[in-house]
Amino acid sequence: MSALHDDTLTLYGESFSSRFLLGTALYSSPAVMEASIKAAGCDMVTLGLRRQNPAEGDGDAFWQILRDSGCRLLPNTAGCRSAREAITLAQMSREMFDTPWIKVEVIGDDYNLQPDPFGLLEACRTLIDDGFKVLPYCTDDLVLCQRLREAGCQALMPWGAPIGTGRGLMNRYALETLRQRLDVPLIIDAGLGAPSQAAEAMEMGFDGVLLNTAVAKAHRPPLMAEAFAEAIVAGRKAYRAGLMQQRQTASPSTPTLGQPFWHSGV
Amino acid sequence: MTHPTERTIAVAGAGLLGRLVAWQLLRDGHAVTLYDAGDLEHPEAAAWTAAGMVAPLCETAVSERSVFEMGRFALAQWPRWLDALDASGLWHHQGSLMVAHAQDMGELTQFRRDLAHVLDDEPPCQTLDDAEIHRLEPDLAASFRQGLYLPDEAHLDNRELLARLLAEIRRLGGSCHAHCPVDTFPGEIETRDGRRAFDLVVDCRGTGARQHHPSLRGVRGETLHVQTAEIHLSRPVRLMHPRYQLYVVPKPDQRFVIGATQIESEDRSPVSLQSSLELGSALYTLSPAFAEARILEQGVNLRPAFRDNLPHVTERDGLITANGLFRHGYLLAPAVACHLLAGIRGRGEQPFAETLTGHPPQESAA
Repeated sequence: MSALHDDTLTLYGESFSSRFLLGTALYSSPAVMEASIKAAGCDMVTLGLRRQNPAEGDGDAFWQILRDSGCRLLPNTAGCRSAREAITLAQMSREMFDTPWIKVEVIGDDYNLQPDPFGLLEACRTLIDDGFKVLPYCTDDLVLCQRLREAGCQALMPWGAPIGTGRGLMNRYALETLRQRLDVPLIIDAGLGAPSQAAEAMEMGFDGVLLNTAVAKAHRPPLMAEAFAEAIVAGRKAYRAGLMQQRQTASPSTPTLGQPFWHSGV
Repeated sequence: MTHPTERTIAVAGAGLLGRLVAWQLLRDGHAVTLYDAGDLEHPEAAAWTAAGMVAPLCETAVSERSVFEMGRFALAQWPRWLDALDASGLWHHQGSLMVAHAQDMGELTQFRRDLAHVLDDEPPCQTLDDAEIHRLEPDLAASFRQGLYLPDEAHLDNRELLARLLAEIRRLGGSCHAHCPVDTFPGEIETRDGRRAFDLVVDCRGTGARQHHPSLRGVRGETLHVQTAEIHLSRPVRLMHPRYQLYVVPKPDQRFVIGATQIESEDRSPVSLQSSLELGSALYTLSPAFAEARILEQGVNLRPAFRDNLPHVTERDGLITANGLFRHGYLLAPAVACHLLAGIRGRGEQPFAETLTGHPPQESAA
């Protein structure tokens, strides 16, 4: 029994009881956010600092609510447009939250918030050398992901689709390639709109899912958080159980004795 | 009007709520003393920085049904109060308009869906084509092809209203103390000069009242005030964009307020360049003629909010607190004020008791 259920996510040597990471922006109120975090059963939540004037600690009233959730905090560098900005913000967040964890985001395009691979790699190299546990938000480009891996990232967070679009896994081929070629935990970050898409990612062998808008902008965010949590568990179980191969010919699960083979017309 | 026994009442905080309550209590015949930590002519209150919209539909899409109900109450109450202040001209009930770029049309659809869900009904708004948009607001950019018109929304000239309320409070004999920070206690006010007893203390200090509300937080909002004679708008216009939703509200003297950002921070420092770019480009998008508008002011303030982003009124012997109006000051103040005034008057039902009465989440009766 235990072997069947012993399936924790491990990132940088730390175990996580949930494979669902939740973002903390866009909720209609902190109370709705707290209820969603609880319903998601997540173990880690991300928080943005860029516009909160972090140097002065002015966001503290809000951050305290997140600390009270009992989740581990994953500060992010959302809104940074260069490696230098991301590095400075990461260092500030390490001091403020007393954590080496950082989700590194370097935005290359303002319209679709696409990560800048060059700035991202530069920031990750510096931050890993500086002792951070870096989770880079990246595109699904294999070579970028390999470079991030070589830089020392022990987990990667490729996008499913651009942030907030809800389009799901836009490039299954690229994501399958990442899964086959990389031996580190991979978390799908951004672009998911429906629990079925999260289940799909987990069935493909991804190790976790990070999302925000799909839950925060639902009519009933806690219920949607629960739906995603269940989909992620279901997808993970399916992956571990081993999905059957799709076939062209129908194959009845009950043997149909007495039917001669020539009925199949082969 | 029948006057109950005259009581001495202190109102702490001369923002919108404090002024409304002080004015009404004076009319009831009480001896009212109004305190504020800042200036009364140029208040530090969020009500001074705000744009003064009374937009139940727009705001309900980002909150909940009780906000809509309290907003409907405001649409009925404001004209009565403004009439009593001889200030009906400050009220503009001409609806509001919502527009989006062609590539962001999904935002309008999403808004309608969110609203239909909260209201459990088809929302009272009309889809407009470009001709209809420009019939309502001829000065908007020609590029807007689709919009939503929400007829039952209003806005008021909020700074003028705050001034009229203060003048009326003074005329009725209210005693006003500016630059006088206080602590409030049941039946007592503490100033730098010591304690003073009152029959009742009403605390409307917004973010200043954390003494009573540990879970109260400030949410930063930033605005620009611009002036131009090139553009005329008859109603608030909201630009729907995937990442920010900003509105421009016409004000007297060819002024416009564009706002507001919403940042989870208690930072009161000046407007950031990022925010100023967002606010400015939203304006420019609504009409390129805004390019030559003059920036008169950059506003920053903190909206007082509880964890559910809804207002709460707590009452105990000799002390009433009303707080947490968040981004809905002019929309919710009538409901909150009438609720607590009904409690003080001891007659009539307190409206919205289910939402307003009782302690905010995460706070128990102390």
